[in-house]
Amino acid sequence: MQAALPLPIARLGRPALLFLGSLLFALYVLAPVAWLVSSSFQSEAEITSKPPHWIPHQPTAHNFTSIFEAREKVVTYENRRQGDTATGGFIPSTAGNLLPGMWNSLIVAVAVVLLNLVVSVPAAYALAKIRFIGRSASIYFMLTSRVIPDIALVVPFFLFVQKLGLMDNLLSLVITYLAVTVPFSIFILTGYFESLPDELDKAARVDGCSRLQTLLLVYLPLALPSLVAVVLFTFLTSWNEFLLALMFTQTPASQTMPIVVASFTSDFNISFSFINAAGVLAIIPPVIIAILFERYIVAGLTAGAVKG
Amino acid sequence: MPPVDAVPEPGAAPASRGRRPAWPWRWFGPPVSAYDQRSAMLLLAPMMAVLMVVAVFPVVYSFWISLFDLKLTRPHRVPFVWLDNYAKVFQDSLFWESVGRTTSFTVMSVSAVMLIATLMALLLNEDFRGRRILSAILLIPWAIPYVANGLMWKWIYDSGYGALNGLLLQLGFIDKYLVWLGDADKTLLLIANAFVWKELPLATILLLVTLKSIRADLYSAAKVDGANVWQRFAHITLPSLVPGFALVMIYETMMAIRHFDLFFILTEGGPAEASHVVAWQVYVETFRKLAFGTGAALAYIMAIATFTLAFFIIRSTSRKL
Repeated sequence: MQAALPLPIARLGRPALLFLGSLLFALYVLAPVAWLVSSSFQSEAEITSKPPHWIPHQPTAHNFTSIFEAREKVVTYENRRQGDTATGGFIPSTAGNLLPGMWNSLIVAVAVVLLNLVVSVPAAYALAKIRFIGRSASIYFMLTSRVIPDIALVVPFFLFVQKLGLMDNLLSLVITYLAVTVPFSIFILTGYFESLPDELDKAARVDGCSRLQTLLLVYLPLALPSLVAVVLFTFLTSWNEFLLALMFTQTPASQTMPIVVASFTSDFNISFSFINAAGVLAIIPPVIIAILFERYIVAGLTAGAVKG
Repeated sequence: MPPVDAVPEPGAAPASRGRRPAWPWRWFGPPVSAYDQRSAMLLLAPMMAVLMVVAVFPVVYSFWISLFDLKLTRPHRVPFVWLDNYAKVFQDSLFWESVGRTTSFTVMSVSAVMLIATLMALLLNEDFRGRRILSAILLIPWAIPYVANGLMWKWIYDSGYGALNGLLLQLGFIDKYLVWLGDADKTLLLIANAFVWKELPLATILLLVTLKSIRADLYSAAKVDGANVWQRFAHITLPSLVPGFALVMIYETMMAIRHFDLFFILTEGGPAEASHVVAWQVYVETFRKLAFGTGAALAYIMAIATFTLAFFIIRSTSRKL
């Protein structure tokens, strides 16, 4: 938009205003994260200084190395509760649970992504391209299940999972995360399939393709951008999910990253610099994904909310 | 875009394929080919199976549970109590206080999200150098897990060594370190702030899309008519943003009402009961008191409340499908 008034103020005002706005914007978004990262590189002595050291004076990677090396230490009855004595007990002996927790999160997220695609791609194609009885009922059904609050699912799921003997098993997370992710995926994919021309469908069918072949050979390659968006959303949702994991995981064998990290924050003896290091490790994968695939994510979010 | 009539019905199959379905199906709408009906059902079967297990079953089952006085502390005696659990919830003064807290948390968060997201969307709608970088970093809060968001703000708010105290002291706004999350008057506001920070990106993106869909010729026409920047903003931009506002408001309201993670990580409902919201009460009833019947009833009340709100979002979005 051009400046409405041909005045020098307007000419100088717009860039200045934009610069100021961008600066505030970037500060608001980045400052908390920058502080998290900065304090994860500080020692316990430095992190408890007043006023805080905004930039570490003596940066140390000790918090991180203690996470990576913790696996090698043997947890015995004596050192079980006292943490790492070399740091005055500020680093918990459970530090070693974080990497297995991230591994669990990764397994769950990958499994959910794959199952999600198997379920939602055919459904979205049918909803977008086939005229059949019950189409609008199916759409309503799918949309309604999208808005069930996850907290309303915990009681029935808990009893269900307990009855099946899947407590403390990653499978319970895979199943319940499907609940959270499938409706959204179908929503995005249906919108995208609808935007692809119907003529393709007809042409493929005349050439003798079955419905499934039409989907796999004709539409799927064209729908790649929306597939990428669906994969990213599903992955991030599973990686970040907290409430259901809190219910269904009890031991480090199945605890996912968010649960392990949260277990650190509830202990007052643990140094915040260590907790922050765990937080930094937890946000690295999703932040990298978000920045690399920004275009796909924005397009997907847009399509998912206001289809058009 | 060709006129709507020219677009063939989705999957209007070649006439050679399939018969018309048997008689009862004809009642449900225009005739469709049997082959299409069959293949649609097959393609939808996995979705139906998943939604049955993860959506229909829990909704029905949790209503069933809510009719029993199910306590895991005495698993062998589970009396059927009709709607007593609901009555108990509605008579509980703590429940009504929680409703009040959930309401004020929701109002604070949603109005802040709307205001800041509008400003951000207006900024990103302009064309300037660095806009791409800004929109990339905007996604960071959206991407990071709520757990990490929670611990980050817990550390910022820390009364002993936190950044908020440090910053305010260095700027001279306070002369000694204050208690933040532990102060019952500030708790909800501070949790709302952490929530807003995390929810802003999505709201901004949704509003930005709405802004981008405003036709440029509206602005040029208004300019020809002599409207200045503010008049164009008030008479074109704001009214065009209304659908975006509605969407963001409904979506964020749903998110705020059900929000649990930050309450768990930042305060566990405290200090005293200052952040004891409805979502937290569901957790306490179910997993601390092990009263699954009451927990299910509470969750059901919450789900119905969100459903009522969601009804509007579904109606507006499904029309476009």
